[in-house]
Order: sequence, then structure tokens, then C-alpha cells
Amino acid sequence: MDSAKTSPAPVKKKGRWLKKLRENYPFLVMIFPAVLVVFLFNYLPIYGLLIAFQDFMPGDPILGEYTRWVGFDNFTRFFNDVQFWPLMSNTFLLCIFGFIIGFPLPIIVALLLNATKSRRTAKILQTIFNGPHFISLVVMVGMLTLFFGRYGLVNNIIAAIGGERVSYFLQSSAFRPMYILSSNWQDFGWSAIIYVAALSNVDPGQHEAAILDGATRWQRVLHVDLPAIMPMVSVMLIMSIGGLMGVGYEKALLMQTDGNLGVSELIATYVYKQGLTGVPDQAYATAIGLFNSIINVVLLIIANTTSKRFSENSLW
Amino acid sequence: MAEVQLKNIKKVYPFVSGEKKVKKKKADEPEKKKVNLQITNEGVVAVQAFNLDIKDKEFIVLVGPSGCGKSTTLRMVAGLEEISGGELYIDGKLMNDVAPKDRDIAMVFQNYALYPHMSVYDNMAFSLKLSKVPKDEIDKKVREAAEILDITQYLERKPKALSGGQRQRVAIGRAIVRAPKVMLMDEPLSNLDAKLRNEMRAEIIKLRKRIDTTFIYVTHDQTEAMTLGDRIVIMRDGYIQQIGTPQEVFNHPANLFVAGFIGMPVMNFFDANLVREGKQYFVEVDGFKVELSPEKEERLLANDVQSQPVTLGVRPEHTDVTEQGIASKVEVAEMMGSSVHLHLDANGKDVIVIVPTIDMKESYKQGDTVHFSFKGKVAHVFSKETDKNLEF
Repeated sequence: MDSAKTSPAPVKKKGRWLKKLRENYPFLVMIFPAVLVVFLFNYLPIYGLLIAFQDFMPGDPILGEYTRWVGFDNFTRFFNDVQFWPLMSNTFLLCIFGFIIGFPLPIIVALLLNATKSRRTAKILQTIFNGPHFISLVVMVGMLTLFFGRYGLVNNIIAAIGGERVSYFLQSSAFRPMYILSSNWQDFGWSAIIYVAALSNVDPGQHEAAILDGATRWQRVLHVDLPAIMPMVSVMLIMSIGGLMGVGYEKALLMQTDGNLGVSELIATYVYKQGLTGVPDQAYATAIGLFNSIINVVLLIIANTTSKRFSENSLW
Repeated sequence: MAEVQLKNIKKVYPFVSGEKKVKKKKADEPEKKKVNLQITNEGVVAVQAFNLDIKDKEFIVLVGPSGCGKSTTLRMVAGLEEISGGELYIDGKLMNDVAPKDRDIAMVFQNYALYPHMSVYDNMAFSLKLSKVPKDEIDKKVREAAEILDITQYLERKPKALSGGQRQRVAIGRAIVRAPKVMLMDEPLSNLDAKLRNEMRAEIIKLRKRIDTTFIYVTHDQTEAMTLGDRIVIMRDGYIQQIGTPQEVFNHPANLFVAGFIGMPVMNFFDANLVREGKQYFVEVDGFKVELSPEKEERLLANDVQSQPVTLGVRPEHTDVTEQGIASKVEVAEMMGSSVHLHLDANGKDVIVIVPTIDMKESYKQGDTVHFSFKGKVAHVFSKETDKNLEF
């Protein structure tokens, strides 16, 4: 048999790669700006993390002749900082309570919107629910002041019925409820979009089959809708856990007063204050920020591994 | 097992807000038609004047082209669509406003509609679990159904791990575990490939014998309709065109539509003249005389049909290539194995003739001149004015 002689020579790997490149270059050109932006703003700054291991002064080059390496000194300093445990607990408690309320809320909203008989009503409601997402944080906190400030709406009502005005912004106990509830109010509709989209893919035949099987509306939500969005819920859960400690500084800082500082001082606000206010200690602030990121990465890995083990869904 | 009666059933989909209503029509203006739906001031009429008595344990097939209202009718029986007018009785009880779960029916869907997160076992057991049937009874029923459908080995699998044919078996299994009074099937085989469809068709025939219940089956495939149904309901534009046994609708199509819809390849139609000579009838077409069967002659006589221009319908299998006959040119010769389908051009008319391979003396090429005539006295005559079969 001389079939081996007549069969075409195997294409070299390099040739195949070049062929693929030629075939796909329009896509590569299209994706290039996005890759560039991610590289410039997400990857290049990683270089700056080096200052977490230096005795860095603003204006110094990150890598230069006189760079003073201090190893993990900045981290040790943070662990021994009197603020360490309050910062950790404040950040953790704010995030965990926010997560407990904020994670299931969009799922419930999406399921309810999907179960609404009138498509028109569901669309109107969804548009209304999305509105608050577009309010800026400053305006949002301004609204909180208008409602819960000493001379805000709530206090005016309390005063009108003979009660005593309460300064909610000065009370530690009011900070977390105001922060969490307003954040969830602002984002529940927006976060529900992804679940509404997933629910729109559910085969209507499954609902009809369930109706004929004798399922009630609630049973259909439980046995048809919820399982259909579970893969999406798993992915969102992993991502939420991964970003659990990654709360931003802006809103907390805007809501911060001397009265609630004990609970409103978070890792993020502390990093901001250390790195950009007073006499900036950017090396120390970077070390704290890096430590916070490491916690998030560890949480992400744990969540992903757990999800992979117990369900068919994972990020990688 | 139950009798099902549909009395003057009508389905109208009302206009949703924003849609324009039809302008008030003039007295002599016909109802406006869009695609094949009737649009009236009430809305879009999908089904109307649907009257059908289905006997206990009967296998009824609703057949017709897309948009004819067959699935809508089935869904009204299931309770998935509201009935706009008329009455639906199952076992003598009015069902118009009864919830689907209380109608004691089961339905098999075209796209299976299995719950993807549940195993085959759980899919089949779901309705029984909701009805709070004891666990051991559920287990017994599910395993019995699985045995009938030969899917016992797949009970622990999820639907995505099954082939199309296996999924359809599970869908049927889910329906039969409930031992419903009426089994509804909405184009259950249309997602399967041709070979599997043939196999499953045979399975459904066997299944029907085993579970012995009333079946209402929807399909657009006339082969399925002819092979499965005790009676066939042929629909078009929301109206019933004919109800009858497969043999009846094949041998005595009520009108041109039924004649063209039932039978493969489609019936050949010719402009012709029906001639009555006393008690005898024959048809003249292109100078040739076509005799009618005594049965048809009797029917025509009973209706006192007079000589008139008609549309003559003859099935390709009742048409033959002969030495003498209507001259035509071969356009296409399709080799089908045991026969050749000749597509002929007879003075601008498309005609199909089936020639058994065993009788073929020569091979046919495009442009060849052949003559054809009609055999077996099985011609059908349709009124030129109403398209109705003059036998009726």
C-alpha cells in the first residue's frame, strides 16, 4: 500500500497558527482596544504594588538606585495597627449583611417579574426598578440626608407627631442599615436584569408541561424557573463571594461622620486616608489594599472550588 | 379512557392594545385574510365551527398545514388555551373552565419539554409526586412505564444525556404514568430524523394497544396521520375540511384541498368535462374518455349531478405510461428504488406519474415524449365553482 506516500504531508503547527491568524485577524483587530485598556488600567498598575514592599516616598521611582526594600514590614505594621481588627470587622460585617440581603433580592425580583401575568406590567416595573441604578453616589447620599438627616423627611414626621428628632448620621447603629438598604434599593433592579434574561430562555413548554402535571404557580417557580437560572446564580454567587471584601470607599466616606466613624471606617476608607490625605503613606496604603485583594482572591478560589465540587458550575 | 366532544369550538386571539382593528367592512366585502388566518373585529380567528365527537379509546389525528389551527385545538382540549366559543366535554362533563390538571389528560410536546435538572425517573414521577401518590406506588408506575418504553436503563440519567428518540420516549413515559383519560400528542415526532420517526411511529402504534386510552394526535405529516389514526380530521384555515377514516379521506376526498393534501406524491388535477348519459357518467379530458367506478357513479347519481365542467383528480399511482394517451414531455425522472416518479409537462400542466421499476422498458430522460392514461377507474371529480367533490 502506498497510501502513506499519496496522503498530504501534515501541516506544520506554525503554518496552522499563521493560517488561523490570517483567518481571524478582523476579530483580533476588534478586540485590540479592549485588550489595550485592560492592560493599561488593570495589569500595568500591578507594577505599582511593588511599593507595598518598599519604604516608599511620593516622588521616588518605584525601581531605582535608591529603592529601600523593607520586605513585609508594611504588612506587619498593618496587622499590629490598632485599627486592624475594627477595620476587618467593619468591612466584613457591612459586606456580609449587604450580601445576605443583596444577593437573593434580585433573584426574587426576577422570579416575581417573570411570574407577572401581564408582560406590559412586568416591563414597566422592570424599567422603574432599574431607575435608581443611574443615580450617582453623591446624589444618593444627598437623598439619604434629605430623608434621614436631622431636618429630613423622617425627622419632620417624627417631630410632627410629637417625637424627638434623631441624628441618624451620627448614630453608629443607623450606618449599616442605611448603607445596605440604600445600596440594595439602588441596585436590585439592575442586578435582576441578568436573571430576567436567563429566565426568558426557559422553554415555555416546560411551564405548560408543569401546568398539566398539576404544578401550582409557586411550584412552577420552584421546579422550572429556579433550576433554569441556577447556573447563573452559581456564577454570580462565586463572583459575589470573590468580591465580598471589595467594598468601595466612596459611599462610606460620604456617609461618614464623627458619630458613626466606629462602624463606618472600612479598609477601603482607611486606604484612601492613608494613601491620599494628610501626610500620604502610599507604601502602607498599598500594602493594606494588597492584603484586601489577597483575601478576595482566596475567597474566590474557595467559592469556585466549593461550587465545582458540589455543582456542575464554576468559573474555571 | 373517555369520550371527548368538541361542539362548535372557536378560538379568537383578541388584538393586543396598539394593534389596529379591521375597518368596518361593506356587506358584500369578503372577510379579510392575512396569510391563512381570518382577521375580524374580534381579533384573529384561529379555529371556528369545530365539531367533533371522539369515541372512547379512539385514535384521532388532527392534520393540516402550518397555521391551520390543529395545535390550537389540541391546546384548547388541554386547557392551555382558553376556549373563545363552543363547548368541550370530556366524559360528558363540560370542561371549558376546568383547570388543565383537573381534566385528567396528559400531553406530549413537540420539543419534549422535559425538566432538564431532573433525572428521567424524576421527570416521570413529577406529576405523581405533586398529586401526593405514595412513594412505592410512584416507583411501581414509573418502572412499569419505563419497561413499556424500554428506557429502564436510562432512569438515572438527565435528559441532556439522552438522544432525541430517548427523550421523546421519556416525554411519552411522563404522560403515561398518569394513566390519563385522554392522551394528547402535539407533533411528537417532528423533531426526530426520518429513520427514528418511522421507528417511533411503530412504537406509538404498539403503545396505543398497550395503554388503550383515547388519543388526540396532531401532525402536519399525512403519512403519520394515515398510519396512526382511526379517524383523521383534516383542517385548513381554522375549519375542518373532512373527518373520516384514512381510507375514506384517501378514496373520497371531500374537496380539492383534501385531495391535494392527502397522498404522496400529490394528486394530479386536470380541467375536464363530466358527461352524464342516462345513469352513466364519464369524464372527458383532452379528447380522452375516463371512466368512473360504479361506486362513484352511484354517488353522483344520488346527488343528481348533471354534465358540467369539472376538475378531474387522479393520483399519480393511478396514472400509467401507455402507448396511447395524453402526450407530454418528461421534465424530471426521480428514481425512488421500486418506482420512478416522472414529472411530466402536459400542455403546460404539471403531472406526476409513478412507474414501477419492474414495468420499465426504458429509462426516461428529460425532454422524452411519453403518453399517459388513467387506470383503475379511481378518478375524482370536483366542482369548478366550489372545489367540492361532486360525490358529496
